[in-house]
Amino acid sequence: MEKRKNVTGEEGMKTQAFYGQVELDVIRAMKRPGVFYWIALGASILAFGGGMTLWGYQVLKGMGVAGITHPVGWGVYITNFVFWVGIAHSGTLISAVLFLFRARFRSAFNRIAEAMTVIAVMTAGLFPLIHLGRVWRFYYLLPYPNQRMLWVNFRSPLIWDVFAVSTYLTVSVIFFYVGMVPDFAAARRHFTGIRRRIYSILSLGWEGTTDQWRHYSRLYMFLAAFATPLVVSVHSVVSWDFAMSIVPGWHSTIFAPYFVAGAIFSGTAMVITLTIPMRKVLKLEKYITVDHYEKIAGVLLVTALIVSFSYIVEILMAAYSGNIFEKTVFYYRMTGDYKYFFWLMMFCNVVMPLTLFNRKLRRNIKYLFVFSLFVNIGMWLERFIIIVTSLGREYIPYSWGTYTPSLIEIGITVGSFGMFFTFFLIFSKVLPMLSISEIKEQGVGNETI
Amino acid sequence: MKQFEFDTQEEFIAKLKEIVDAGVKSEFITTLTPFHVHEVDHIFKTRPSELRYFTLLGAAAGFILSFMFMVFTVMDWPIITGGKPLISIPAFIIVAFECTILFGGIVSLLGFLHLNRLPDIRRIIDPRECGNKFLIIHDMGGGK
Repeated sequence: MEKRKNVTGEEGMKTQAFYGQVELDVIRAMKRPGVFYWIALGASILAFGGGMTLWGYQVLKGMGVAGITHPVGWGVYITNFVFWVGIAHSGTLISAVLFLFRARFRSAFNRIAEAMTVIAVMTAGLFPLIHLGRVWRFYYLLPYPNQRMLWVNFRSPLIWDVFAVSTYLTVSVIFFYVGMVPDFAAARRHFTGIRRRIYSILSLGWEGTTDQWRHYSRLYMFLAAFATPLVVSVHSVVSWDFAMSIVPGWHSTIFAPYFVAGAIFSGTAMVITLTIPMRKVLKLEKYITVDHYEKIAGVLLVTALIVSFSYIVEILMAAYSGNIFEKTVFYYRMTGDYKYFFWLMMFCNVVMPLTLFNRKLRRNIKYLFVFSLFVNIGMWLERFIIIVTSLGREYIPYSWGTYTPSLIEIGITVGSFGMFFTFFLIFSKVLPMLSISEIKEQGVGNETI
Repeated sequence: MKQFEFDTQEEFIAKLKEIVDAGVKSEFITTLTPFHVHEVDHIFKTRPSELRYFTLLGAAAGFILSFMFMVFTVMDWPIITGGKPLISIPAFIIVAFECTILFGGIVSLLGFLHLNRLPDIRRIIDPRECGNKFLIIHDMGGGK
């Protein structure tokens, strides 16, 4: 990537006033929410509560209230699971991978991205449970011997999923928390009463001595080094939930890299969707600058190209294989019941990202915001199409079918967005949104300070 | 006990160099900084953090224990599914890989807390605040 000098800080401006200003700006964002915040939080809680109520209804009435049935046994719930795990991924990419590559623009986004990871994994983790007919038996998934002393099957991708997702949640939480320890120590100075006490406890008595920083830097590096292969492995495992079966359109070796790239693509778009309104409301424009957005749009462009390439490879493989089942599924995707979804997905994920080759558009915040919404829609549709069209057109025409999500399923999907935004909004007022110690170390764009 | 406070990193490093060059051993100096100043490690010539041993231990234990666990479960009740061998190494590697990272991450965190003696109740109640200043605390117990 090209270097432009105003992204990195200049040594000369790192004075006491600067350090104090960084702290004040970030801490101020944690105080006194405005009207807009309360409206957003209220709407999110309403959606979240509505979704939970509908889930309760589904638990009481049974799975019949959902649209999933034979032959499409995986519907919107699994789509949402893959979607939210995907959203989680770019959080780790931005914080861990860019940390290892010493990409300094990450300091504008890393805390928000890590929070997004933790919250999105929690949301995703709920969907396999919602998908279970009898949710109170979820513990069957855990590796323990059942009544007949029979163990779980470690050859099953569903068990890999349990390990992958729970490891991902644990390691992301550790990474998120460790990154915040020095910032809690800074935050405790700016509050009084109960909040001061809570931040003091969370800071663990951090002072910033020589040895503390020495071990801390090492810990952070190791966690980043662990998180990086973890990102790749988790979404690979999610893709193997599909690829390990012999369903046409799923049984493909390309699935793991294809899913990982798609996950980073959608997650990066979500970071943009979240940060653009947030930096405005919380007045953090001088820390999250247009230069940062230009860089992150670059990440979006690269992953979009990988995703586009995967689409092309997938279709060509089906066309060239001579396998009638494979061909039928792809023909069905393009011309069948869900063709509008397919072409909308193609527009969102393949055609639209090409506009990012234009530097003016990469630096246009309003355009990026609208663009990121399209990518979110496109990537959700991608998972929907992969799941529904393949299951609907398996080998025997006798068992072909279509799937329409029921209102309950749609309601729970909306509820999952409500959950995500509820937690995110709470996070934005409770925890420091930017890595204070990292910004102090690096400085910010000098055009604004 | 002598204490020096600085507003900028440059002055702080200059003074620290001066003290160390005067022959004070690094054990008698504590610095408090608002962020990691890498030059301090160079001046003190510290060895890399011992945390790496914890990380290695955790990661290795995670891999070996989880693999042994899976082998144990298939031997405990040998049941062949899908015509696959009981000990299906490629499938087991995936879970073992996840457990490597899980244990590695958790043991690293515990190692970090142990090395720094955190959480430190005394400092939670009454922290030594350096604000945004760079502090050098020189314990006169050993010195010039």
